[in-house]
Amino acid sequence: MTAQVATPSPRRPWGLIAASLVAVALAAIPVVHLVVRVVSADPAELAAVFERPRIPMLVGNSVLLATSVTATAVALGVPSAFLLARTRLRWRGLWAVLAALPLAMPSYLAAYGWLAWQPSMKGFWAAWLVLSFVSVPYVTLPVAAALRIGGTGLDDVARTLGRGPLGSFMLGTWPQIRPAVLAGGLLVALYTLSDFGGVALFRFPVLTTAIQQAYSASFSRDEAAVLAVLLVTLALLVVVGEQFARGRAARRIQAAPTAGRRRMTPLGRWAVPGTALLALVPAVAVVVPVAVLVSRVLTAETLREFDPANLASAIGNTVLLSAGGAVVAVALALPIGVLAARHRGRIVRAVESTGYLALGLPGIVVGLSLVFFSLSVVPALYQTALVLAFGYGVLFMPKAIGSIRAATGQVPTSLEDVSRTLGNSRARTWLTVTARLARPGIFAAAMLAAVSAMKELPATLMLRPTGTDTLAVELWQRTDVSAYGAAAPYAVALLLVAAVPAFLLSDARAGREATREAIAPDTRAGREANREVIA
Amino acid sequence: MRAHRGIALATTGLAAALALAGCATDPADEEGALTVYVGRDEELVGPLIERFEEESGIDVEARYAATPELTALLLEEGEQTPAQVFLSQDAGALGALTDAGLAAEIPAELADLIPEGFTSQDGSWIGVTGRARVIAYDGEQLAEDDVPDTVDALTGEEWAGQVAFAPGNASFQSFITALRVLEGEDAAAEWVEGIAANDPELTENNLASLDLVNNGQVQLGLINHYYWFRQAAEVGADEMRAQLKFLPGDPGGIVNVTGAAILEGAADDPDARAFVEFLVSEEAQRYFVEETFEYPLLPGVDAPEGLPAIETLVNPGLDLSDLDSVEESQRLLADNGLI
Amino acid sequence: MSRLEVRDLTVGYEGGPVLHAVDVEVPHGELLAIVGPSGCGKTTLLRTIAGLLRAQSGEIRIGHRMVTTHGIHLAPEKRRIGWVPQDAALFPHLTVAENVAFGMLAGRGSSRAARRAAKSDEVRRLLDLVDLGPLANRAPGQLSGGQAQRVALARALAAGPELVLLDEPFGALDPMLRADLRASVRELLRAEGVTGILVTHDQAEALSIADHVAVLRGGEVLQLGTPEEVYQVPATPWVAGFVGDAVFLPGVLHGDEVATSIGRLRAVPVTDAAGLAPADGDDVTVLIRPEELRVRPAGSGAAAEAAPDGAAARAACAALEGIVTDVEYTGHDAMLAVSLADGMRLRARVTASGLVPRGTAVRLAVAGAVLAYRPEPA
Repeated sequence: MTAQVATPSPRRPWGLIAASLVAVALAAIPVVHLVVRVVSADPAELAAVFERPRIPMLVGNSVLLATSVTATAVALGVPSAFLLARTRLRWRGLWAVLAALPLAMPSYLAAYGWLAWQPSMKGFWAAWLVLSFVSVPYVTLPVAAALRIGGTGLDDVARTLGRGPLGSFMLGTWPQIRPAVLAGGLLVALYTLSDFGGVALFRFPVLTTAIQQAYSASFSRDEAAVLAVLLVTLALLVVVGEQFARGRAARRIQAAPTAGRRRMTPLGRWAVPGTALLALVPAVAVVVPVAVLVSRVLTAETLREFDPANLASAIGNTVLLSAGGAVVAVALALPIGVLAARHRGRIVRAVESTGYLALGLPGIVVGLSLVFFSLSVVPALYQTALVLAFGYGVLFMPKAIGSIRAATGQVPTSLEDVSRTLGNSRARTWLTVTARLARPGIFAAAMLAAVSAMKELPATLMLRPTGTDTLAVELWQRTDVSAYGAAAPYAVALLLVAAVPAFLLSDARAGREATREAIAPDTRAGREANREVIA
Repeated sequence: MRAHRGIALATTGLAAALALAGCATDPADEEGALTVYVGRDEELVGPLIERFEEESGIDVEARYAATPELTALLLEEGEQTPAQVFLSQDAGALGALTDAGLAAEIPAELADLIPEGFTSQDGSWIGVTGRARVIAYDGEQLAEDDVPDTVDALTGEEWAGQVAFAPGNASFQSFITALRVLEGEDAAAEWVEGIAANDPELTENNLASLDLVNNGQVQLGLINHYYWFRQAAEVGADEMRAQLKFLPGDPGGIVNVTGAAILEGAADDPDARAFVEFLVSEEAQRYFVEETFEYPLLPGVDAPEGLPAIETLVNPGLDLSDLDSVEESQRLLADNGLI
Repeated sequence: MSRLEVRDLTVGYEGGPVLHAVDVEVPHGELLAIVGPSGCGKTTLLRTIAGLLRAQSGEIRIGHRMVTTHGIHLAPEKRRIGWVPQDAALFPHLTVAENVAFGMLAGRGSSRAARRAAKSDEVRRLLDLVDLGPLANRAPGQLSGGQAQRVALARALAAGPELVLLDEPFGALDPMLRADLRASVRELLRAEGVTGILVTHDQAEALSIADHVAVLRGGEVLQLGTPEEVYQVPATPWVAGFVGDAVFLPGVLHGDEVATSIGRLRAVPVTDAAGLAPADGDDVTVLIRPEELRVRPAGSGAAAEAAPDGAAARAACAALEGIVTDVEYTGHDAMLAVSLADGMRLRARVTASGLVPRGTAVRLAVAGAVLAYRPEPA
């Protein structure tokens, strides 16, 4: 009965659309702010920016970095996910946590650690290395989740039809995980486009560094806005490209029913290279930079400045603010994720892609737009923790969309039908059935937003209550005066605090699987059908 | 339902906690606290502000971030800014505030304390400290005599790939302006073209340039002198591989100033005035000399030991007002693909 | 009076209407089966009755309550219906008893309330009713498909609905289980006095358990009647072919007889939906059910005399000779494929006692009157 599920609901879900539009409007604040600034700026000044000989190079570098980092993250993340979800791996739990750990690593911290060890690192290759490895979990986590849901029946059929292991993987499993690969790749590409810390430390000139220069040398917000609009355009291309690819993937999967059985592959002679891959990613992204920074603690003179009370308060602020940000992010992402999971059409596509755009912007641009927004809407709350948490929510809402969309999509609509006919309103059905069953995914979305908020710096600097320091702020204050020794405790603390949501993310994925096993075999068929349509 | 109630409770609790956290750490709401945006490092300025609080009895809420971020923030906030005073790392940022009409006039009796040439001409902001442009060189590969006395030499082949600088940095751009004023547009254009063609190492800031010299990645770095002293304080002066060469009289050796502005909304605020007055007091000036190795701007306070006198660095042909034409300098850098 | 009344119902998606002017009626306490091929709109009809889809126009009345009419759409949660979907759709986070209890909460459903209500006598009664008392604390994942469907039914009944809607509830089950469950569902609905609508693509299922059958094709109801009516007097040749095996022959109507390639047969003309009946001299399509063909071994010489019952002998029958080319043996009876001398192939159903081996020469006769239809437009 896929036909029935695939058929669009004849009634537009206006309530949901309205809630999504509100969420999207909030998420679009940075983009709108930029466009307004550019439109009202002096055209001659704008033209001058575009005429600079360096602009094509900057755009080219941004594109080059985003594509190469995304490709690398996919190339490393898909096999990692396969190893975690489909092979008889020893110490799977440990590897799963390690695979999520790079999420906890801010790019600037990873770059900083590498530079402290290898000062000659610079330019494209250095930025590529660090950004790629730091963003691998964005691919590994969703792909591993998709692999745990999908079956290997089609692979088996392909094998009997004479395909090799790789060929049958491409025929059977790849279509099942393709949406997850695309979703992960989208986050990586946008993350790379928006990253400033990593590229700046490696002196690789891209649009974000040029934006920073516009603020720091000319103090020109117009010039920065023009460059940021270029960046948004790139982000838009990425988002639209992903949607296009996802649409095609969805159609293709619908044609090919998935088989429910899942086969675990013994690693055999691949045990050593497989384990090496799983070890490599956290080693490059986390272990090396942290080890270097910690070794600096032991040698630096500034260690004596270390103040445990200050560290404790920074940890407290970081946890509270990022938790607040996660709540806001999930609240904003819920209507969009549900809409995207349950409905199709132009409105849905537009809503979803607008939701993602701000993710391609550097934090300073987003921070300024939120300054403007909060001063015009809630001036009394300006530079309070509430507005900062709200800012985190707006910033990282896009990261929550994908997880919520996937989790909601896995709840069979027939369960909602039953609940409705049993007398429960749409809202109650959503709460007691859909949200209840999608809970692990919603939780994962919150954790992803939280871990991002913990690492956030530029918007924090602008929006935080005066005098409230987060770990990222403390870290920045110390790296900025090149106080390696004083910085290290904060770096380690940030990593440890951010490792908690990263750990929960890996755990939440496993938990989701447990929920899945509890679903009756017959309903699983329905859910599969559901997922296919939405994927 | 328990789950939802749990979530609802957690959310409410969190909101309350956030509100509390906001209140607890935001005494700016209290009457009388002076809000200062500080575009310099907390480690350096924090103790100075504490001294001011002790001596004046005025509570200060200091908000620390980099000068560019705070400038953008102030411009975005406009008249709604909670800040009364902005302490900037760079004169250009103060100029941008003035251009936007956000800076109040500094009372003349304060403005007059700082000699002309080191403060704004119209009293819209006041100079606090000076930092000299210098060449940092790799002490292991070069002797001081090997290092050129003028930046003109840096376009030479022997320095190809050996010079690091931060083209987007405001003080570097001031140097380009000085070059244009002192040596003429054509010569300046020629120099920029030459350096751009000489395979320079472009960095994001002075500190990164210094790090490259310190690590032996390049032989020369164009920086502000006090970065060296800051890093020496961190790792110990004996550990510094980079050494400094001052360039008296050369455009590459000019003095840039840091400064402070009173924001328009605090034009008549006695606390803001008291804070600015403190910044140019003998005590604060001496603090900057001792802690940051910057040049004091208040006459009568001695420059850091071992540094050339500030007067020797100033080129008589250069009037500070000439440095306003930053936009032309930026165009020059942009045309040569440096920014 | 009717428990369910659907009048002139039109439902459409963006691509155009899926149901056109559908009229359906089910009396109190009876079971209607909706049959039709895939995509005929039967599930759409069921979902519209449930309120899960909106109608473009038309009316739906459940009991005394108008739930859908022009401009009014009562939300599904207010329609007091029970819904049994194809996949059973048991809530995976609740036990069997909690699933049933969830149905009793009347709009205040929640996991916690379900846990509390799961211990009530009513839940136990419903579980016993579907023979699942001992499985009350199982998780849905531990049930077989048939058990899951029975839980889904108990859950639907728990709300005390006026109407239970079953969307192909037996589709995923194996045949043995299917027949079993079918019977117990019918019994349960009757025992509880609940009106039911069952969607199925299996006509045998529809004929065997329903009080009424609606045949849907292309979004239109071609026929609504008792199983006997639908089988014995199908409204169109297509309906005839859909609800059972059928042999169609072209013919020409002459009074109460029809001339066909197998001779003149006694015929009853059928009036179609537009009120038109074939007239004398019209080309018609003749419907013969395979069980209406009598088969005798050829050369027995005295087929008529040997006829076991007088009715056949009295029938104005045409007799023809042919060869049995295939035998489909099903145990209780068998279907023979017979090739006639002119190359035409007919299918005839015989009881086990009338079974003949492949290759046998046989003589065919038609018992009783056949139906004559105006030919369907191509």
